[in-house]
Amino acid sequence: MSKRRQDKSAAKVVRKQLAAERRRKRTLWVSIAAVAILVIAGLIGWGVYQSQRSDAGPLVAPASATTTSGETLGNGPVQVQLYEDFICPHCKDFEATSGSAITDLVNDGKIKVTYNTVAYLDPASTTEYSTRSAAAAACAADGGKFKEYHDALYAQQPAEGSAGLSNSQLISIGTGMGLNQGSFGQCIDSGRYKPWVASITDAAAKAGVTGTPTVVVNNQVIPNPTPDAIVAAVNAA
Amino acid sequence: MSVTTLTSGVTWPGLRPWLGTLVRLGLAAVWLFAGAAKVGDLAGSGRAVNAYQVMPFEVAKVIGAALPFVEIALGVLLVVGLATRAAAAISSALLLVFIAGISSAWARGLSIDCGCFGSGGQLAAGQSPSYAPEIARDIGFLVLAAFLLVWPRTRLSIDRWLEGTT
Repeated sequence: MSKRRQDKSAAKVVRKQLAAERRRKRTLWVSIAAVAILVIAGLIGWGVYQSQRSDAGPLVAPASATTTSGETLGNGPVQVQLYEDFICPHCKDFEATSGSAITDLVNDGKIKVTYNTVAYLDPASTTEYSTRSAAAAACAADGGKFKEYHDALYAQQPAEGSAGLSNSQLISIGTGMGLNQGSFGQCIDSGRYKPWVASITDAAAKAGVTGTPTVVVNNQVIPNPTPDAIVAAVNAA
Repeated sequence: MSVTTLTSGVTWPGLRPWLGTLVRLGLAAVWLFAGAAKVGDLAGSGRAVNAYQVMPFEVAKVIGAALPFVEIALGVLLVVGLATRAAAAISSALLLVFIAGISSAWARGLSIDCGCFGSGGQLAAGQSPSYAPEIARDIGFLVLAAFLLVWPRTRLSIDRWLEGTT
């Protein structure tokens, strides 16, 4: 093999090595860029979530509620926590079968019941009806009509996947039971209690509530909340 | 003569990059659907993560808000074929985490929806969890990711175009 030929093939090997090195470097940088894109995407998600929260306005609780729990009725010794979503069909069924038993327990002075009107099912309507309806019920609580309004919302429950009741429908339900058109309407239209609904929804998730309806009697979840099961749990507490 | 050209026309090395393109687009669709289903309800996504009860609620909220965007970004990387091997590696890692999460929920007797494609981790009353099909589905996706991890060179990709420029 001539000297020139040897040089040529040596140069070829070096070129190949350089090319491989360039490829390796490029793959490395492209991979780093891809990871950076994913990290940035995640940060954007967190930022979007934060801004959604802070855009909603200040957190204020309605009458008979706290910033982390729903409207409370009665003052009996046993604490009952209900977790309901106004668009959830099973919650309507639950209210139909067990609602009066709970009201009786309140009237008998046996329990104190908290209606945590959570918005777990906002994607189940096209207008975030879960949040709007729970916020409207909070406005009704300020007017002293929570339970009446709550029952009316279940009586007129919209189907899942629909737009739900409009704000003006929500207002007319309230004025129909004697709530002040001006202040009640303003409370709903301004979305005063939307941040509060988000807050009690968070609190429910934090407490481990994964679905609605959930019934908790003295910190014990009632797996199948029939009227009998609830009364039995209250008597045992 | 004509026989040899016929057989050499459909060899594994010839077919693989095209099959890889299909696999890449399939996995991209999975991530894009999974991300799109959750991106409209970031709070619900956080609740779905929290339903697994493996981390504090505050952490679950961060993961829940970030995850849909990461999934969409992964989907986009795979659609255009940029950093395919890295995207496949991260896909595999994420899927392994999901499979571990679902298995652990199953083992602990939790009654939740995986929340994989939205729905906030909650089961309707009277509905029982379907952990086995959810895990089987994720293993199927993992096979796609593993294919791309082993053979990241695919047709119609930015990776291939970048290779051609140097």
